[in-house]
Amino acid sequence: MIRCTVFFALAIAASAVAETSKPDIHKSLVRITTTSQDPDYRVPWNPGNITVGIGAGFVIDGNRILTNAHVVSNGRLIVVEKENDPKEYIGKVEFIGSDCDLAVVKVQDSNFYKGTAPVHFGGLPTVQSLVDVFGYPIGGSRLSVTHGIVSRVDFQNYTYSGVDQHLAVQIDAAINPGNSGGPVLQDGKVVGVAFQGYTGDVAQNTGYMIPTPVIQRFLKDISTGRYNRYVDLSISYFKLLNTAERHALGLPDDNIGVVVSSVEKDGSCAGKLQEGDVMLSIDNHPIASDGNVRLDGDNLDLAEVVERKFKGDKVKIGILRNQQPLTVEVELQPNNSYLLQANLHEENPRFVLFGGLVFQPLSRNFMEAYQPDELRVRYYYDFYITDELYEQHPEVIVLSNVLADPVNAYVSDFRFQIVDEINGQKIKHLSDVAHAFAASADQYVIKFLGSSRPAVLEKHAVEAAQQRIKRNYNVSIEQNLGQERL
Amino acid sequence: MKSLLFFPLVFALGCSTLAVAEDAVPPAAATPKDKPVPELQKGSVVRVNSTNQQYDFFRPWNKKAPFNRRGIGAVIDGNEVVVAAELVANSNFIELEKPESGERTSAQVVAIDHETNLALLRPNEERFLQTLQPLGTNSTVKVGDQLSVIQLEANGTPVSTQALVTSAEVGRYVLEDCSYLLFKMSCPLQYRENSFTLPIVKDHQLAAILLRYDPRSQTVEAISGPVIQHFLREAKNTAYRGFPRIGVQFSSMRDAVLRRYVKLPDAAGGVFVDAVQRNSPAAKAGILPGDILLAIDGKAIDPDGNYIHPIFGKLSVTHLTTTELYCGQRTNVTVFRNGEQKDIPVELFRQPPESYIVDPYVIDRAPRYLVLGGLVFQELSRQYLREWGTNWAKEAPQRFVYYDRFQSELFPEPRKIVFLSQVIPTADTVGYEQLNYLIVNRVNGREIRNLDDLAQAIRTPQNGFQKIEFNEDPRAIYLDAGQAESTAKQLQALYALPALQRL
Repeated sequence: MIRCTVFFALAIAASAVAETSKPDIHKSLVRITTTSQDPDYRVPWNPGNITVGIGAGFVIDGNRILTNAHVVSNGRLIVVEKENDPKEYIGKVEFIGSDCDLAVVKVQDSNFYKGTAPVHFGGLPTVQSLVDVFGYPIGGSRLSVTHGIVSRVDFQNYTYSGVDQHLAVQIDAAINPGNSGGPVLQDGKVVGVAFQGYTGDVAQNTGYMIPTPVIQRFLKDISTGRYNRYVDLSISYFKLLNTAERHALGLPDDNIGVVVSSVEKDGSCAGKLQEGDVMLSIDNHPIASDGNVRLDGDNLDLAEVVERKFKGDKVKIGILRNQQPLTVEVELQPNNSYLLQANLHEENPRFVLFGGLVFQPLSRNFMEAYQPDELRVRYYYDFYITDELYEQHPEVIVLSNVLADPVNAYVSDFRFQIVDEINGQKIKHLSDVAHAFAASADQYVIKFLGSSRPAVLEKHAVEAAQQRIKRNYNVSIEQNLGQERL
Repeated sequence: MKSLLFFPLVFALGCSTLAVAEDAVPPAAATPKDKPVPELQKGSVVRVNSTNQQYDFFRPWNKKAPFNRRGIGAVIDGNEVVVAAELVANSNFIELEKPESGERTSAQVVAIDHETNLALLRPNEERFLQTLQPLGTNSTVKVGDQLSVIQLEANGTPVSTQALVTSAEVGRYVLEDCSYLLFKMSCPLQYRENSFTLPIVKDHQLAAILLRYDPRSQTVEAISGPVIQHFLREAKNTAYRGFPRIGVQFSSMRDAVLRRYVKLPDAAGGVFVDAVQRNSPAAKAGILPGDILLAIDGKAIDPDGNYIHPIFGKLSVTHLTTTELYCGQRTNVTVFRNGEQKDIPVELFRQPPESYIVDPYVIDRAPRYLVLGGLVFQELSRQYLREWGTNWAKEAPQRFVYYDRFQSELFPEPRKIVFLSQVIPTADTVGYEQLNYLIVNRVNGREIRNLDDLAQAIRTPQNGFQKIEFNEDPRAIYLDAGQAESTAKQLQALYALPALQRL
């Protein structure tokens, strides 16, 4: 069955709309209907449910359409419609950014762009200034406009990936499902893309838009021909607000500096920064003791300096190490290990099925699908970065399910245990599981973390059972190794 | 009909509202199943009123509000009374009352075992119990027997309700990981006050003690006679040693593939040793994970971990190792290892809760803590985690729950886990207010393995600062040592803390 959903949207009875923005936006705004297929991590071999959703987008230079990633996510068919044109055009995703919830869609049919006009981008709107939001809330077919003021400019969680925080602008128009991806205008220029909000239970009149620094960064990043994602310092720091702590670190009471509390071993700053370093400046911007820097007249988290950079760019950090001033130059890279806790999109669940045993890598989608009670799995998920578990387990492979069959009658006790080794081979990636089972052996001895009792499968028994299990459980493919991200 | 949950549930480790409910609701009329108790039994029970007060592990310098628990104790030989330990856990004052005359005297705990939930009380007035008839103990009750649950009317008249023993198997008592022989009985018990725990008798012998009652299914779960007998015998020793725990975690060997893998003949029974508890009798005797346990004390173990008991039939071997055998005894464990059968002598003992890295319970003991310049340090215990409520395993900080569960695997050396539980805001702790649940690795460069180490380490500040290092962000914080010392009195007065430490 096909369900129709409407993406996040802003919608309120339109009040006064700035005259300057009205005529232009009709030439730029598009309505996007996406038929998508969202996989079910509990049945990883199934292609997933087919759903239809409606969102908005707008034409930008280069005959492209900008929208939210979540509007076209897992899309199988993307239909683009213009105002005052009955034709439905087929769109294709050219670039998609999970971490910033932005996507660029192209329509092949060149007739589509006739009569359209690319938008012009503005800057970061100031708090209390007025904006207009355009889109198709609650799935309506006609353009809808809302009007509101800019309430706050701050870092926010981007819910599409679930783990990313970037700059976002809060506006006081109520959010309703349906016009994600729509442009937010001020003085005839696009200053943001509406993308998420709260339900009325949590807060009212709080909608969020992606501001132009994030949009511009995305467009510049993809100009290289691929999307390289955000770069990250991959460190954590502690604010230096305590006088005794400042004195102990040899700092004056000048409200400058934060202390590095951990440096991720596979991140940009590995080998450059150390735990205990005091960061005083970043690209010559002084770092206040609460971690903020002054950027374009705003106090923003020091991360914003890095947020505007790209893979391979450098950042200069002024530090105090053992009370000696030092400047380190860091080449910026995206962070990988945190992807374990990020929503996965645009990929089918990865798994290996063997003798009715389903092995899957630990991921956010996995945790949300199964919600396992098993303490060790929850610990590996929660503390994967903090306790540097990625060093031993680039991927954490879990026995996620046992499709009951005589061949595995006594293995179900091991459900949600983490695989340590198979036939003596340490398991660090899903592909290790596939290789271990592909190797010739009379029996397969699977050891799990924290348990000395192995699960044992005999080859001849598995061979006899594999087809039976696939038939009984309607399994179309035995494995999907996909691409290892970590 | 009233359906009241008037007995404590499995997880309710002391809930004052239950005790209040007991007294607030009047007793219901007797049902036809109730019958007068034979004359002999009349004078064999006493009311036990206990005023209990638990420590507040979130504010370890405080005790929570006191509450009352009232139950019925069985008088036994030797001028003593047996009750469930929960009735008198963390007690400040215990009073015995003769049901007929209403005479009262205070009493004290002679022996208490929180693992089997049993306690032995003695009146402070020596001759108090002399007019009563002590009950013997019975350990021959079996499935199908009819027992009598003793309750008291408000006027002191004993009432007994028939209970049919429907099963005798090893099951959980009160604390997690504490399983002993448990009787389940079918019994239409009525609400009466003073019923927190009740004696269950057969032929004027104490056969069981009520642990919990489910009014919906009318099922009683009770501490069984063999466990009571073991407790009373052990309590005669000058130093109470408790019930032994061999310290192995095992799982079934029914899987024929697994049996072939370890080359164990199909005819043999046996269970797979998954884990061996650190410092346990099994660990000291050299039993290893991966061993197959074939027999203990000459009794064969089947693939599900049962042996044949002369009275109860198929029964978990846990009963044998905890209850049939005593601390200080030496027994023989037959294991199958590397294709060979091997006899291993094992000396049985119990590991007291304080010998664990994370104490499984802290009852009748005060929590340790130390306050330094507003930073509150404590030692991790499961009692602390229980403060998060019945769902503590999911609600409490997950790192702590993980460390508790896998302590044997994670920490090979004996130690305690010292952590910063909270920050009491003062001028010295500006910037640290949000810190909590952080495990302390080192203080002033010194490794911290318990709270005494910490107390020692803070005596030697480095360059005038107390440096506290944690095992996660923010990794290190500092206090001005002189400042913290000079403001300690102010902090204590401002927040009215009775003491800044209890070690």
